[in-house]
This record gives sequence, C-alpha cells and structure tokens, in this order.
Amino acid sequence: MSSPFTPVLDALTRQRGVRASLVVSAADGITIDSNLQIGQDGSRVAALAASLYRKARKSAAAAGLGGTGFMQLEAETGRLCAIGGEEIVLVVVADRSANVGLIRVEMLRAAEALA
Amino acid sequence: MIRTSVEVWIEEPLRRFVDDASVSLALLLHPSGQVLAQYGFTRAMDIMSACALAAAIHVSAAELGKQLEGKPFSGLHHAGKVRQIFLADARTASGAYIFLTVFDERSSLGLVRLYFDEFRANLAKAAPLPSEAPEPMLNENFERELNKNLAVLFGRA
Amino acid sequence: MSLVNYQTREITCKIVYYGPGRSGKTTNLHYIYSQVPHDRKGKMVSLATQTDRTLFFDFLPLDLGMISGFTTRFQLYTVPGQVYYQATRKLVLQGADGVVFVADSQARQLQENIESFQDLHQNLSEQSVDPRSIPLVIQYNKQDLPRDLILTTTELSDAINFRGVPDYAGDALHGPGVFETLRGISEIVLKRLSTPSSAR
Repeated sequence: MSSPFTPVLDALTRQRGVRASLVVSAADGITIDSNLQIGQDGSRVAALAASLYRKARKSAAAAGLGGTGFMQLEAETGRLCAIGGEEIVLVVVADRSANVGLIRVEMLRAAEALA
Repeated sequence: MIRTSVEVWIEEPLRRFVDDASVSLALLLHPSGQVLAQYGFTRAMDIMSACALAAAIHVSAAELGKQLEGKPFSGLHHAGKVRQIFLADARTASGAYIFLTVFDERSSLGLVRLYFDEFRANLAKAAPLPSEAPEPMLNENFERELNKNLAVLFGRA
Repeated sequence: MSLVNYQTREITCKIVYYGPGRSGKTTNLHYIYSQVPHDRKGKMVSLATQTDRTLFFDFLPLDLGMISGFTTRFQLYTVPGQVYYQATRKLVLQGADGVVFVADSQARQLQENIESFQDLHQNLSEQSVDPRSIPLVIQYNKQDLPRDLILTTTELSDAINFRGVPDYAGDALHGPGVFETLRGISEIVLKRLSTPSSAR
C-alpha cells in the first residue's frame, strides 16, 4: 500500500547500507509510512526514535542552541538518523558501511519535500 | 506519588512500565471496577472513581467492538488537549484485567503501546496460578465495629 | 468479588442498587453522599441524561473505616432502571458483592417492581452467580407518599420478597431507611469475609 511518502522512503532505502526508513508522527510516535526489511519491528523503532528526537529538540532548546536539524545516533553495528519538525520525523536506520554524508543530504532533501 | 498494589507480583511489571513509558498515572483493575495496582494517584477515593469509569469505558467499548466486528476491541486511545489515555486488557493465568494509563507530552502513544506490550507479557509471566480462597479475615463480632463506623459516617454517633 | 489487600490491609466491596426506573436508587446515593463527611467519600460520579435519568450508572466510593484491622471501602453503584437499559444493567452488575433492590412503593408500580426483581435474578444467573446466595436486601422506597397511593411494606413483601431477605421501609428523598438499608447490606456482605469459603 503506498502513501504520499512512499517515493521519499524508496529513495532513501535505495542508498547503500540503509536498512529501513520511516515517516513517524512526531507527537504520537506512530508510523505513518515505512520501508522495512522483513522481520524488522518498525513500530518499536518509530516510537523510540520519535521520543529520542523530541528529547533532542528539547535538549538543544534548553542549551540555547535553537532548533534541531539532523540527529545521528551511533551504535555498535550501525546508525540511526532522524530529522523532522513538530508534526513529522523522518527516520533512517543504516549499517556502519553507509555513507552518512549522502544519507544526510538525502534526508535534508526529503525533509524539505515533506514540509 | 503513591505506588501500591494488591498483589506483590504486579509491582515489578508496573514499575518497569511506568519508568519506561514515562506516564503520569497507571491503573490495573479488575473488570468489575476494583483496583489491583496503581501509580500516581494521591487519594484512594479518586482511584476508585477512576477505576469505575475505566471499567465502564472498557466494557462499553468491548460491546461496541462485538457489535461492529464480532469481537471486543483490544485497546482504546483518547487524546485530550494536554493529556491522553490508553486503555486495554491484560490477560494472565490469574485472570483478565483492565489497564488504564494517563500520559502527557513526556511520553507518546507509540511509546505507551510499545511498553504496554512488554508490560502485558511481564504481567503474564509473573502472575501466579489461581489460588484457593483465603482464610476469613474479619472478626466474629465485626458487626459492632461496622455499626459504630456507619453511625459515625451518618452523624448518628 | 470483594477485593482484599493483605499488604495494605484494605477491603473493597461492590454494592449495586437495583430496581425499576425512578424507584429511588440514585436518590439513595444522593442522600448517602449528603450525609457522609468529605474525607470519607469520593466524588459522586453520575453518568446521566440531561433530564437526570441514570444513563449508565451512578457511583459513590465510601470509606467505612477500620473493621477488624482492615480499612473497609464500599463502592456503591446504581443501575439505570428503564427497561431498555437491560444491557447496561448487566454490565454494572458484574462483580457485585451485594445488591440493594429498591422497590417503588406506589401501587401502580407493583408490576414494574416484580419484573425488575425477576430481571435481577435472570442477569445474575447469566453471570453464573447463584441469585439465592448473593447478599441481597430490599428497600420499599417512597413510604412517605400518601397512603392511598402506596402499598404497605407487608403487601410489598408478600409480592416481592419471596426469598425472605432483610427488607426496610424507606423514604430516600428525606432519609429514613437509607442508613438502615446500607447497614443491612454491609453486614451481610462483610459476613461472607468472616466465614470460611467452604461454608458459603
């Protein structure tokens, strides 16, 4: 089933090393659309990533750093990247081998398209 | 904030849920409306009212689900301006219970649903098998205390 | 089923006020609410229509104080009495530890009383509750009305109380009988917690 976000997610997932991409409701942490590999629990990632991004935004604001743009979380075997606003958060899960710079550019482009 | 539970085995699953999901209030209740465990309430009477209403909402939604889909709905979410509620059932070997939680912007529906699934599983794991009825707990002459208390309640003492 | 918390030493019991429409079930709760001190009651919840007819239930939590070292709380519920709220009555009746049947003493309401009492027994049976064993008392309410409009408590008892359960004359609007009824059902409900389960 496709949504208006499907082309954006497909473009992101085509990047080398990207395992999953999701569009998540910022307030609820509920998946709006996703492109996942078989066996991945998208709803879990969506809820936690949205919560993390919201807290990151609050942390940045509390530190007087203004608004939050691109967020990257480095883990043992990969990365979780997020970018978004009040309504929507775009989340990408990628391997360590993925080109973060390229992913970041694509995500910024996608975020502009979704805004 | 008070955290109390009728049965010890409920405490740990409830504590984990509350900590993980960052909710403001949580209630586990019997379908008849009696509280089994709670977090966040400060007054026993408020808990009882909340339980009665939660049980009513749950049973109404279940009936609606049966009429629409042939089976009860599994969960219910209601969003207010500042706070939201999530209501669902949790089945264990000890019986079926109703769970109500109230959360605000410190949490989200996605997180609540995520950790509720874990809570439900932890609760089912922790629940003991139904035990025999307990020994009587009231004295033989409890009527005297009851009558005295009721008289005080109604200003007749 | 009465809920007992051995840790915190609390007992909670559910009492349902049952009866035909406009018999005085809600009035009983309102009177109780008006008499009980603030720190011994919770907010009264009334899910009612715009004309104050009970739509779903009324609910009043009461703290009866310490009995045998247990903090004892009662949850008082009423059901909607009108015939078409059958499904709702069943839902509210679930898990009741005791029932107060509030009968309307008006002569013209006799048939409604009888049908409502039968309805109660049927709903209990459907929930696999033995109607003969659940704690039950009857209140013949509106005994304050003019004599030519009402039946006497003896007449009502003959018509309704075939089980011989404790019964009380009542005037819930002004108070007489309300306290006695609540005391009566409380005694029977709590008595179950003072006898071994095998003897019930």
